[in-house]
Amino acid sequence: MVSAVIQSSCNPQKLYKNVDFDREVYVLGIESTAHTFGVGIASTKPPYILANVRHVYTPEKGGIHPREAAAHHARVAPEVVSEALRVAGLSIEDIDAIAVALGPGLGPCLRVGATIARSLAAYYGKPLVPVNHAVAHIEIGRLATCFRDPVVLYVSGGNTVVVAYAKGRYRVFGETLDIALGNLLDTFAREVGLAPPYIVDGLHQVDRCALEANEPYELPYVVKGQDVSFSGLLTAALRAVKQGARLPDVCLGLREVAYSSVVEVTERCLAHTGKREVIVVGGVAASPVLREKISMMVRYHNARWGAPPPSLAGDNGAMIAWVGLLNFLSNVTIAVSDSVVRQRWRVDDVPVPWR
Amino acid sequence: MESRRCASAMEIEPVFKGAEAYLYLIEFAGMKALAKKRIAKDYRHRVLDERLRYERTVEEARTMLAALEAGVTVPSVLYVDPNEKLIIIEYVEGVVFRELIEVEGCSERVRKIAHRLGENVAKLHLAGIAHGDVTTSNVIVSNNDTPFIIDFGLAKKTRDIKEHAVDVHLFLRSLESTHPEHRDCIYQAFIDGYRSVAGDYTDKILAKVDEIRLMGRYVEARRQRTVWSM
Repeated sequence: MVSAVIQSSCNPQKLYKNVDFDREVYVLGIESTAHTFGVGIASTKPPYILANVRHVYTPEKGGIHPREAAAHHARVAPEVVSEALRVAGLSIEDIDAIAVALGPGLGPCLRVGATIARSLAAYYGKPLVPVNHAVAHIEIGRLATCFRDPVVLYVSGGNTVVVAYAKGRYRVFGETLDIALGNLLDTFAREVGLAPPYIVDGLHQVDRCALEANEPYELPYVVKGQDVSFSGLLTAALRAVKQGARLPDVCLGLREVAYSSVVEVTERCLAHTGKREVIVVGGVAASPVLREKISMMVRYHNARWGAPPPSLAGDNGAMIAWVGLLNFLSNVTIAVSDSVVRQRWRVDDVPVPWR
Repeated sequence: MESRRCASAMEIEPVFKGAEAYLYLIEFAGMKALAKKRIAKDYRHRVLDERLRYERTVEEARTMLAALEAGVTVPSVLYVDPNEKLIIIEYVEGVVFRELIEVEGCSERVRKIAHRLGENVAKLHLAGIAHGDVTTSNVIVSNNDTPFIIDFGLAKKTRDIKEHAVDVHLFLRSLESTHPEHRDCIYQAFIDGYRSVAGDYTDKILAKVDEIRLMGRYVEARRQRTVWSM
């Protein structure tokens, strides 16, 4: 079990003008959109994040099996919820609202988190607060970096999207037309026998393998306007390996095309919007290779960049609790009877009343 | 040698800094011209960066030339140096179509220009070119009211009707986001112009445009994305 309490030196009142931080409020948040079951507790008072506990489902082979992941979540849930309350030094009676990520994500996994949240809310008579998983990544990224108005690159196993705030919402500037960047790297690594494990000493297997490369193998680079596409790239890379190309060269070619294309879309968004900050969130935000590329890119635009620490960059319950808190203070709650999960809930569907 | 002289012109300040290229106002062979230089990005691997900028420069020049040959009003390509990732094009004196619409709305003049723009986009498509970014910001209206299509950075040679329909769709989107009150009026003039060149192909295009607009991604994602073109 992994747990972490994060201190923030940031005054969130600056980031959230429409929220009243004078009220003392505690919100418990539940994350279960994919392979992570996480519970976090957020407060309007420093250190803002009081608990961030999670338990991650790791398949023995292959990718995430939604039903097995869901079974895992159901198994560890009671322990993770209790642990989060213990870490925060609170009892369930102290909690003002229960927040849950209702989407986007894998149906069976989402339903576990939703069921637990509904039960807690109904049994203890607490308001239930819906949270969009992508918005949660963005807001915890802002809290961790204290950036007011960043362009956001959200890259993970299931998401690849560039968003920025405009007119009351996080607007999608560009996104993948098919598979996510993390999915591309993981699938390739698995198919050519490099993984699992996918990450060793903080470096993805594809990046490790690329260390032995001479020259990047030439692979298709697809940026269509503001969107990226990775499925053709995956096919081409696998075919190259099958046809006897040097594996490290293919690894280097693959990761250069993949990372560069999302950095290029982020750059276009930065240039187009004239914003001066970039944050990178999601599981892939931990990649040192991606981080270096982003730091090189922002220099062309006199912008600065940041990323949350790994415990808040990947899927976690703290971010759900944090946006749950913002939503609760903006009077966004949902009746248990209406709280259906939304596998394809888009980030630009969500009103953002707190900014 | 030529490229060296142009490179020295690069020491002047760009008039526009885009994400991938800088634009410089220069004098070329005695006439006013725009130099578009794709700049190196150190975040890309050297080999990949070279390849991309080379290919994009060549593709842009190629599609602009093909457009010229098809009788589309585009700025003339004066000079290309793929090794320098440099294109020099004719400088068109005029105003951006978007700004003209903001001032005049759907005036008779604007309708006439939209009609001619429709003719031009149809000619592009019949010549097997998709522009990839047809918006009112990417059209310069010259002093004699001729619409010049600019920025072929995303253009490609294709006979795929979907890609052609995306051009029409993007134009409609740019009207919706930037000039919603004049959308129907300007779009009608544009389609009339398109039909005067493309004939029955227009109906196939319009059917595809409907299809694109009904696709989830476009209905949801693109509708809300339109704020970017404001």
